[in-house]
This record gives sequence, structure tokens and C-alpha cells, in this order.
Amino acid sequence: MARWISNEPGEETALLEALGIASVDELFADVPKKARVGRLGIGAGRDELGVVAEIDKLLGRNRPYSQFATFLGGRLAPRFAPAAVDSIVSRSELYTAYTPYQAEASQGMLRSLFEFQSLWVELTGLDIANASLYDGATAAGEALLLCRRIHEGDRFLIPASLPWEEKSVLRNYASGPNLRIEEIPYDDRTGRLDLDFVRKAVAAKDVFGLLADVPNGFGHVDEGVLELKSILGSIPFVVSADPLSLTVLEPPGNYGADVVVGEGQGFGISPSYGGPLLGLFACRKEHVRASPGRIVGATLDADGQRAFCLTLVTREQHIRRSRATSNICTNESLMALAFVVYASVVGPRGLAQLQNSLAEKARTLATALGAIDGIKSPRFDAPYLGEFAIEVSKGTAAQFLDRLRRRKILGGHPLADPRPGTPGQPERILVAATEFVGEKEIQKYARAAQAAIAAAGGSA
Amino acid sequence: MTFRQARWDEPAVWDLGPSDAGEAPPAVPGVPERMRRKVAVRWPELSELTVVRHYTRLSQMNFGIDTSTYPLGSCTMKYNPKVSEMLARRPGAASQHPYQPEATTQGTLEILYRLERILSKVTGLPEISLQPAAGAHGEYAAMLMVRAYFRDRGESAQRTEVLLPDTAHGTNPASAAMAGYSTREIPDKDGCVDLAALKAAVSSKTACFMLTNPNTAGLFESDILEIAETVHGAGGMLYYDGANLNAILGITNPGRMGFDVAHLNLHKTFATPHGGGGPGAGVLAAGDKLAPYLPVPRVVKQGRKFRLDFDRPKSIGKIRTGYGSFGLDLRAYAFALSHGEEGLKHVAQRSVLNSNYAALRLGKFLPRPFRTLVKHEFVLSGAPLKERGLRTLDLAKRLLDEGVHAPTVYFPTMVEESIMVELPETESKRDIDHYVDAFQRAVSDTPENLHAAPRNLAVRRVDEVRAAREPLLSWKDLRAAAAKAETP
Repeated sequence: MARWISNEPGEETALLEALGIASVDELFADVPKKARVGRLGIGAGRDELGVVAEIDKLLGRNRPYSQFATFLGGRLAPRFAPAAVDSIVSRSELYTAYTPYQAEASQGMLRSLFEFQSLWVELTGLDIANASLYDGATAAGEALLLCRRIHEGDRFLIPASLPWEEKSVLRNYASGPNLRIEEIPYDDRTGRLDLDFVRKAVAAKDVFGLLADVPNGFGHVDEGVLELKSILGSIPFVVSADPLSLTVLEPPGNYGADVVVGEGQGFGISPSYGGPLLGLFACRKEHVRASPGRIVGATLDADGQRAFCLTLVTREQHIRRSRATSNICTNESLMALAFVVYASVVGPRGLAQLQNSLAEKARTLATALGAIDGIKSPRFDAPYLGEFAIEVSKGTAAQFLDRLRRRKILGGHPLADPRPGTPGQPERILVAATEFVGEKEIQKYARAAQAAIAAAGGSA
Repeated sequence: MTFRQARWDEPAVWDLGPSDAGEAPPAVPGVPERMRRKVAVRWPELSELTVVRHYTRLSQMNFGIDTSTYPLGSCTMKYNPKVSEMLARRPGAASQHPYQPEATTQGTLEILYRLERILSKVTGLPEISLQPAAGAHGEYAAMLMVRAYFRDRGESAQRTEVLLPDTAHGTNPASAAMAGYSTREIPDKDGCVDLAALKAAVSSKTACFMLTNPNTAGLFESDILEIAETVHGAGGMLYYDGANLNAILGITNPGRMGFDVAHLNLHKTFATPHGGGGPGAGVLAAGDKLAPYLPVPRVVKQGRKFRLDFDRPKSIGKIRTGYGSFGLDLRAYAFALSHGEEGLKHVAQRSVLNSNYAALRLGKFLPRPFRTLVKHEFVLSGAPLKERGLRTLDLAKRLLDEGVHAPTVYFPTMVEESIMVELPETESKRDIDHYVDAFQRAVSDTPENLHAAPRNLAVRRVDEVRAAREPLLSWKDLRAAAAKAETP
């Protein structure tokens, strides 16, 4: 049983005596008998050794991606992080703290978050960033709500190529205030946004915002995003950007983005099967009071020295309640710390080099797969960085990936919405280059892909 | 007073070394010229040691549970077991991508499944989702589920109102509003829901009543069964905000009390660290009516295999990327496994024992506005401080000088100058006695000293008004302000 409940000799007796009661049960006299529960059936506790043994046994049934040649990507990336990042994140002064309500006792976390905000401002070219949201998808959802707060209309445009999970999250955010989500079609050859569709939609005067992702859901860098602001005019423009890509790509603030969101997991945070993650959010200064989430500001202390605190709190739920800009309370501060420590250890040069190296590997792999009859690789004819979509014409994406897995390759993930009854989904796979693969693994993938297609062709 | 916090005159990270500002980063072949970044990210190139020293110094200017008693009411700042930190970093846990095939994630899925079964028993509600990223996220998802349920019943146009007590956490009304509901507050009577007012307020417009029990005043809502009857009688749903679950583990549970849906905070009750603001980890627990609406995917067991089930036609869909924060779910599972049935009940008993003891002792210094029997937390009023020209805020800052964290202040709002104290089961009697002594020194110190507090921390009293009036929100703002100051 755990040692974590304090158990100094005689202390519970002393506590009971001080209260003048014989049993702790007396402290639950206000819980109606009819509401009491009996045994829950959870089983007895274990000592620490027993807990470690049990959990290690269960984890032993996993096969982490480190046991494979891994090409998994999407918004979450298997990414190497220098050990220094975890060392800092493991400082218990930081990780065992709560939200820094008492600024004077929390300068370490507040300073770190201010540096994190500053870094996301630098990467995006916008004016202000908050101290984090849950993940990239919820950050996009909050961006949608911000757009509606600053612009009239009931229609929000998103790329049809957006990952299905994000579409679903956005539909939920839109459902509360009864807003409509509409998908912008893409060109079947290049995957690029149909800008004429956007022009027509804007002319209808009911669009309150548009989100475009860079790179897009197929991994491509679509130059069309540069035209969007001139089409949208005063309609708010949201970019969902991969932070690593922003070390080599034009900051979205420079081409008119009003909000930039993203998923920050790739910067020093292990994927851990999907969480905790890191929602990134930046916007223009004029919209800060309509924006969601905690924000750290610089100020002075009573001696006139630089100090930091949570600020602009009148936007938030604990003050504004039902009229708050968001319900968010707990965010992802520790992950924000990991993000800024990772970027500071690797440095901007190292980050840009990493992005370049991933792009180079992706090109090699895309070309090798493209030579295989039965795979269209890359599926779209457009520039890309570290990941790209392929389409298999023999067998299904799931079968293809399963055949690769048997050869110790995690070859990517299917782009289709896995919910039954989603019609007309092509057999597409998002393939990502990672730091953990080299020339050898890329050639291995190409050979295994060839064999998988041959097997699919044979069975068809 | 012997406490002194480290006080490093530490520059900002961008002042620690030069950057490549002005130069272009290397071009990625194939990327169109117009999309290329023309100017490298302005951030310094630093040695690893410089970075490590910088953030280590910053960490020394921060309170955590590991440094200090941290009695924030409603936040359940209990010890975060180290073994959980170790386990969450195992490659089998950390190096798992959510899109890996199920054949390679059986251990993860089984841990999630087992944790869900435990949480189902703890809440008394049959179906669990671990998808929410935090408590408020769970509230919001639950409100979306309630809405979808009434839509299916053709009642969504009619049921437009969510009721909540005036003691509710601010996230409750905010979550309800985000889900499209109007909200209405029910007044309290001696700190608990005024049942007569609730009866008068429920109607065919009521979609849901959101309640925390014990509530934010630390009082158990003893009328809970009648509250449930009242809400259900009007055709509404009853929502349990699990922020205060620590007090009732193994004693009662939301299902037994009549709740239809609940959220829990694993970062409170199940001891996952709060990370200085987050991550949290939320749980959704649903009864039969609302379970079909839980987010997808769900973890299911088929024979001896575990898999993710996306075939839930009534589901609200996704509320975030991935299934949940497995890194935190694993920590919570280690906590539950370690405590077991008896241990979890002991958690509730000891937290309530600690709280009543601390309330008895601190009640000697400041008034307690409600009845004396409390659960895991309690409320004091700092109103008498005003006679000496002081506020609760001054007391909070003076407590920091003792090397202990302040309680939650100015919440719940129905108590003047309120102070909300929670001392979870991991705090020893000695810790509490130490806290009481510190509190006594603080409350009886001179007004001058309280106004001047804190003195022993890295910074003195922080000017929060200035921060809001002249927002400086990033390095960019600081540079601009400095440039402006230099221009005559």
C-alpha cells in the first residue's frame, strides 16, 4: 500500500482527539445513508515494487515505435529531444506547482511562459501569444470562436484536406453558437485550395473566418495561402502551422494571418500515445481582449524591479463566468516550458537544419515509392517538407500498412475518417520522415512497399 | 522567519547570447521562393549548459508541492508520486504514437481500459472516456452531450437553460455558454443550494443543473437526493463537477447521488502533477442515457484483445487529437493501483480529517461563515482584516514569506474576502501545525509588515494592475517599450 497518505505514528489519533471525535466516520454524518456506497470492488492496494512490476508487465505488451523503422507523423511527431529538456521539465519546483495565481511565488514558471509566448510570437510573426491551450485542434476551435467574436457571419471555411480529427473538433466548437463549417475543395492534382471557391463564399457576406493549414493535411506547402488575405479582406484569417516548418517558412503574420495556431508536441514532448500535448495560439494585438487562455505579462514589483504575472484576466472564466472568452482554466504550461527549452537547446539553426534534413529524407522516400506501380507517391504534385501523402491503388491503406508492420516498419497512418459510414474515402496514407530513419530504413520501406503492393495485387 | 527564496538576477533567455537575426535560414529545395522565411527566427544560439543553468535558476524561484505546503482550495495539491514520473517515461509509454496499429499498443489500451473500469466504479457511472484534456474540457464535452441528447429527443429548442449554484467554479457557466446554453445561478442558503430556489427555478427549459459535491465552500450538499429528484422531475440532467471528488472516494459517488454525467480531474484526485498550470487530465463518466454520446473512439475489449471503437453513431465525435493524455492516465492508474479499495477510501477520510482539524485551528484566527462540519476543504472570511486596513490579499502575500503557499483567495465569491483552504491526505499533522503557526504569525503581524509582504521571495509585491493597464506580453513588446523609452 502507498506511503503517500501521511502516516506518522499516532497522528490520526491526535487529529481525532483534537476534534473530540472517536471515529472519522463522524465527519461523514452529513452524507445521507441512502447515498452511501459499499465496497467498490477495486481490489487491494500494492506496494511500489508491485505497482512497478504490474505496469511494466502491461507496458511490455506494447511495441513502441522505437522498435520499428517509423514513418508516423501528422500533427504529432516522433521526435528526438535532447535529455536536457526532460531534465528541466523534471524540476519539481515547476512540475508540482499549480497555476501561478500567486505571482511572487511563481516567477520561475511565469518567466518561462513569457519566454515561450515570445518564441511563438517570433515564429508566427504575430503580436501576442497565450500561455498555451490543450492541443492544436482545440487551439483551432478557440480560433474559430475568436473569429466570430470579431466578425459577423455564421460560416467558417476550412480545407477539405484538414485531418478528420480536427474537422470533428471544429464542428463541435461551431455547434454551440450554431455556426456552420464549410469545406474548401482542393485541386485533385496539386491538393491546393480552390481559391475561386473562397472568393465566391466571401462574396456571400456570411463568412466570419477561414482556417488554412501550413503544411496542409497532405503535407504540402500551398502557395495559395499567400493570396487568402487579399480575398478575405476584413474577414479573420487563421493559419494552423507546424512550428518546425516556421523555422524555414514565411511567418504567417507576414501574409495576413490574424491568428496562428499549432500543435507544439514535436518540440521536446514525447508523443505518449497522444498526450499531454501543446496547443499554440497567437493573434494580433487588437484582438487580445477577445482571445482565449491565460496570458503572462511583464510588469514591475514594489521595488520597481522586473516581474511577471498572469494578466488580462478579466477575459477569463473565473472572473467573467458565462461571458468569458473561453472556459479554459488548466492549460499545458509544463509542455510550453518543454517547447521553449527544446528550441533554446537546439537553437534556430539546428531547428532549420532539422527541418531541411527531414525534407530531404521525405523527398528520397517519396521518389522511391513513386517508382512502384500501384502507389501514387507523392499523391499530389506540390512542394512538401517532412511529410507527404501517398495513395495505394491495390488493396487498402490498412492492408498496406499492416504488411509493412510485419516487416518492422510503421509506414504512416491512413488519412480516412475511421468512423463507419464515412463515404467515398480514397486509400491515402500520410508518410512522414523522422529523425530515427536514415537511407537504410528508407530503402527498406521502398522494398517492403513493393512487396506489399505485389501481395495486394496477387490477392485481388 | 527563516525562509529565503533564491533571487537570481537572471537575464531573459534572448539576452543570454547572440542570434542570427537578419540572415536567411537555409532554403528547403522545392519550397517556392515566396513561401520561404527571409529572416531567421530571432532566438539565441546557446550552449546547452547556458540553457540548463537559466531554467534551473528560474525553477529556484518557484514554489511547488515538493518545496512547500500548497493548500489551494479546490485544487487538491497532493503529493505527486515519483514512481508515476518514472513509469510515464518508460519507452513503452512515452514512445507510442496514437496512430500506431492496435497490435503494437495492447499494453496501453489495457491500461486505459483498466483505469476506465476503476473510474467507473469510483463514480458509479457505467461508461468512461479519458479524452478530455482537463476538467473544464470535460465539462464542455458533457454539455455538448446533453445538447445532443435533447436534440435526439426533439427537446433542444425547448431546453435552453443550464442552472448552477452561485458557488460553482467559473468554468461551469463558461462551459455551458460555449455549448450554446444560457446560464442561471441558484442562490445558496448557508453555503448550500437553496432547495426552494432550485425548485422554483427548474422548468421545461432546464437542460441541466451543474453541481459540485462537496461544494466549493467545502460543504456536503446533504439535500443531494432531493436535488436530483427535483432536476429529473423537470426532465433535466444532473451534472457532477468532480473537482472535489477527493472528499468522497469510497464514501459516496456521483452515480449513487443521482448524477447523469460527471467529469473528474485526474490532476487533482489521482495525483497527476499540474505542471505549473497544466497539463491536466479530464475524465468523462456517463450514465446510460448519455453514454452513447461520449466522444469517439472508445476503448473496448474483445476476447483478450483491446481495440479502439469508432462505431458510435450518436457520439459527439472528437474533442481533441488522440484518445487522451496517456502520459497522465498512466500516472493516475499507478495511483489507483497503489491505493486499492481501502487506500482510496482512506484518501477521502484523511483529507476530510486534515481539513476539519485545520479548520478548527485556523477558525480561531478568522471567522468561518458556514457550519463547522466540512469536507476536504473549508472557507474562512478575511473580512475582519479590513478593520486594520488590510485585505485577504495582504495575508496571502505575508504567508508566502513563511515559505508556505497561500490558500485560494477571493473564491467562492459569496464570502467576503474569502480564503479557501485544502490540505490533502498527503500532508502530515506536523505540516498542518506548521501551517497554522505560519498563519498565526502572518495574521497577527503588523499592518505595515503585511502591506510590505512579501519580502523573502525573488520579487516583492507584483503590480498586477500595471500589467493589465500597460500590457507587455512578449519580448517584442519589451523591445518596443525600451525603444520608446530611449526616444526623447
